[in-house]
Amino acid sequence: MRSPFSLKQEFLKKWILGLRRCRSSKKNMSIFERKKVIKLSADVAMASARKGTTCWSRALIADAVKEGNADKHLAEKILGPASERQPTEKVPVGAMAYNKRIRSKKILKRSSVIRRTIKCAPQAARPSSIVKTLVGKRRQILRSLIPGGEFMNGVSLIEETLDYIISLRAQVDVMRSLASISKLVNLN
Amino acid sequence: MSSRRWRESSRTNMSEEQITQLLSTLRQLLPEIPHSHSHKASSAAKVLKQTCNYIKTLHREVDDLSDRLSQLLATIDADSAEAAIIRSLLI
Repeated sequence: MRSPFSLKQEFLKKWILGLRRCRSSKKNMSIFERKKVIKLSADVAMASARKGTTCWSRALIADAVKEGNADKHLAEKILGPASERQPTEKVPVGAMAYNKRIRSKKILKRSSVIRRTIKCAPQAARPSSIVKTLVGKRRQILRSLIPGGEFMNGVSLIEETLDYIISLRAQVDVMRSLASISKLVNLN
Repeated sequence: MSSRRWRESSRTNMSEEQITQLLSTLRQLLPEIPHSHSHKASSAAKVLKQTCNYIKTLHREVDDLSDRLSQLLATIDADSAEAAIIRSLLI
């Protein structure tokens, strides 16, 4: 299991980087816009900390820069110039083991196509009692909560959920620490 | 024929075992909720329901924290010196 501490470090590093990239336009931002920048850069940083090894992280980034997304330019600014972006290694969670290096630029250009083909080890729903509980409203809700959830099934859905929850917790912890520190600095 | 059926059923058992294992890991991640009559073995459906609620809670927290940070960071200029200090404090 990846050490949670290094995950937080990776997230913090990428988050600060993303925030700095938006700094120039930050001068006269409304609070609402600033919140959007903070939240989006945090989400994107969390997803890219996974370096493309999980389905939800790839789906989150692909979603952020999708054509027609209102904050597409903001997301692209946060991700930085294409030359600096890491080539995401697409290793699907699950049984299928094909290794392909996909350049981030290609992902951006064909993000709409990639979204449709990001399938994470499609496992046929096997008729067992536990798998049956995954069918139905609960599964729908879970899929709607996880980015890219519509493409996942069965075992891979639960694996992605685990990873997503761990990442969210790390994100919340780091943000909370930053908030308490900022409050202390402000008081001085 | 029988060997194929055996193979298929063993595959089903494997994935069921996998799912049970994953669900127990999931259960450990979820925050403890004291029930008045707590059963040791919570059903898979209950775990999924708690998972959905937990993810929603985490989403709300991220949103909340972004709100607070946007107000706090308004006064701090997030230039490299301060960011480095904050980073070293958090590590």
